[in-house]
Amino acid sequence: MSTRMRTFIQALSLLLFSVLFVFAAYGLPDWLPADIYLRLDPLLGLNAILAAREFIGRALWSLLLLGATLVIGRFFCAYVCPMGASIDFLDVLFFRKKTRPGPKTGASLREVKYVVLILFISAALTGLSLVFFMDPISFLTRVYTFVLYPLSVTVINLFLDLLRPVFQALGWINISHLHVVQPVFYMSAITLLIFGGIIALNRLAPRFWCRYLCPLGAFLSLVSPLGLFKRRVNDDCNECLKCQRNCPMGAIPEDPRKTHSPECIQCRTCVKVCPQEAISFPVSLPFAGEYSSVNLSRRGFVYSLAGGLAFGLASSQTPFTPLQSKHQLIRPPGAIPETEFLRTCIRCGECMKSCLTNTLQPCLWESGLAGLWTPRLDLRLAPCEQNCNVCGKVCPTQAIRSLPLDEKTHAKIGTAVLKKEVCLVWAQNKLCLICDEICPYNAIVFRPVEGYRRPVVVASKCNGCGFCEQRCPVRGESAITVVPNGEIRLKEGSYVKEAKKLQLEFKPDPGDDKFILDESGFKVEGGKKEKESIPPSEQPPPKKPKGFL
Amino acid sequence: MDEWKKTITRRRFLKTAAAGAALSLIGKPHFSEAKDDYDLVVISGEPVAATKKALEAMGGISRFVKKGQRVILKPNMSFSNPPERGSTTHPLVVVTVAQACIEAGAQQVLVLDHTLQRAELCLERTGIREACKQIKGAHVLAIQDKKFFREVKVPKGKVLERVEVVKEILEGHVLINLPVAKSHSATGVSLGLKGLMGLILDRESFHSQYNINQAIADLATVIKPQLTILDATRALASGGPGGPGDVKKLNLIIAGIDPVAVDSYGVSIVPWYGQNFKGRQVEHLLVASQRGLGKIDIDQLRILKEKA
Repeated sequence: MSTRMRTFIQALSLLLFSVLFVFAAYGLPDWLPADIYLRLDPLLGLNAILAAREFIGRALWSLLLLGATLVIGRFFCAYVCPMGASIDFLDVLFFRKKTRPGPKTGASLREVKYVVLILFISAALTGLSLVFFMDPISFLTRVYTFVLYPLSVTVINLFLDLLRPVFQALGWINISHLHVVQPVFYMSAITLLIFGGIIALNRLAPRFWCRYLCPLGAFLSLVSPLGLFKRRVNDDCNECLKCQRNCPMGAIPEDPRKTHSPECIQCRTCVKVCPQEAISFPVSLPFAGEYSSVNLSRRGFVYSLAGGLAFGLASSQTPFTPLQSKHQLIRPPGAIPETEFLRTCIRCGECMKSCLTNTLQPCLWESGLAGLWTPRLDLRLAPCEQNCNVCGKVCPTQAIRSLPLDEKTHAKIGTAVLKKEVCLVWAQNKLCLICDEICPYNAIVFRPVEGYRRPVVVASKCNGCGFCEQRCPVRGESAITVVPNGEIRLKEGSYVKEAKKLQLEFKPDPGDDKFILDESGFKVEGGKKEKESIPPSEQPPPKKPKGFL
Repeated sequence: MDEWKKTITRRRFLKTAAAGAALSLIGKPHFSEAKDDYDLVVISGEPVAATKKALEAMGGISRFVKKGQRVILKPNMSFSNPPERGSTTHPLVVVTVAQACIEAGAQQVLVLDHTLQRAELCLERTGIREACKQIKGAHVLAIQDKKFFREVKVPKGKVLERVEVVKEILEGHVLINLPVAKSHSATGVSLGLKGLMGLILDRESFHSQYNINQAIADLATVIKPQLTILDATRALASGGPGGPGDVKKLNLIIAGIDPVAVDSYGVSIVPWYGQNFKGRQVEHLLVASQRGLGKIDIDQLRILKEKA
């Protein structure tokens, strides 16, 4: 296979990754696994299974990649990995003609990726999910979500704006009124910096990341020496070392006839550059011929194992851990219980990309180290759309369960709380009803209090979607905010049943306005339990609905 | 859509037949000379037939739309709810008017609204985009971004000094308002005048900053639709503006040039929140009529009531 062919396959894979990324959005068809790259990643799957101590169905997909690596070798890095492809392509762009001072063999540096791998896996054993930091698929998905996606929309809108006069002149009405809603994310800059750093490391050595740092590469390299295809150098070799200089992985040692087989990604650059045509990749039985061991010292193994365990255990002994049961964050609908959620989530950002309203945002330190980059709803920014359930659909570890719309509606994420001292109606007697107008579930009703009709939240009808919080016209913090109180987090089973059991009702049904014309003002159907929360009115309630004289 | 076209054809045939019959009976076809005879026309019937008849009774769409003109239809598609919910204009009403405009020689028809909920969802779920797909020259747009609006002064404004409105209405387009009849928890009802808030950028200030009833009247001094066709095929008699609420099937189309008169009649057609009201009892309508924007007392109006 020629190098050009490899580049083509790489480009194709990156394209597929990008297309699936674009498809991860509202309207994603049920049959399309937009998160397939993440599911194929055995490291992410293993990490989530170990950390959560749960079996995760979607992680089974990674057996495909594991099996293929067992049979073929570490081909994934050279042909499939979208991160590898990005690194290669950007390398061509930035560093093609640079001489690189990087270490030629760098055995000790190479050890780093195993240390990283063991560190993450042992941390996962303690229940701390950390691998997302450096897993290439999770990381690249984050780069796409937090950097590339918003940037592309900006560029698209820029072009639309520039060409708008042309479209108008041509009479292309729809495109001349097209404006793509700009997605925005916290932590875009951090993500870009890390990605930039990884690319910049190529200045030192090509595929620096893949050679020395990537934990997925390390993981795959452990199984790859069993693969069928092995580099073989015949007697024509004149030891010109051209292959050694050109190997992007530094997998060829001093003696160019040998190979660090765990490092070899079968890119076949050596085959192409060899002036003697002495190199081939024939099929050979596992263990036939040389088998070079991985570059990990016993000391390195023990230290990283101990380090990971210690780090994991230490990080679980912080105030954040007991606070998990009292967490402050609004998690996506269908998110499993908080502790399990933190352990299962691989922080790929796919849910945040797909979120229709852009309400899903990454956490920074809100729930400590264990919660970095986990999704939460920023309901002041945007609400959770009641007709959308895409975040669960694209979650590769099902930390957010994939739910049908009806189930999702009942996966209550919190309860709106009204702050009377800030609310325009309660505090200033103004005519404002925006929260009531926008509420999709009629969970906000107006009750006559002190001569004015004032909004009240019916907690049993509120599923926390946050339309009220987002739309509240009060400047700064909303006068009505959603708190996690009353959220339903189920590892399994039906949210509809659970909601029924709790006597919650999220059906958008009419009827609550009836009381407006009621003399007493308090006769709400089935609303006896709300009675106590209503302060008695001092003046007779107005008899007419608002807006009528 | 094919089915729909057939329906039109059949109805058109029936209507022509009915018109002929009426002509022979009365000897004077009232709608052919109806132009200035009536302030309002109120037609009962299914959405397509009633809308077509209302247009004819108003003197035909060509009275408002001339050849080569550009037309803006302003339905209510602010909520991502299906038509049954009663919170948005019936797609068949919109499509019938759009079709008529094109047939009258309109160069283009823009069906637009500044949607309250997510634009693409509103377009999808109200059914209006789908319904208008077949009509060449009609474009359904949900406009949300600031760049599509332009600020205008409100010289006669009591509370509003300036307001940012959809650019197109300043560019000499014919404006036809196609509101749906619904209750509204701040303004009592949301009909034609309240619906004009869908042509401005900043609605929130109407609720939070200004007296909303004055602000609506102010807005009506700068945005003046040439024709208002109120879709009362269903009326959301409570739970408005977004619903869910009590949807009454009224099968009515009310059309008129005077926006206050149309709205005032619209108030009378159904009990809102279970209680009967007159136009005078709706504050923003009363304010608008006091500002001379239209007639509010419907018993002084000449009204054509017919069945489609």
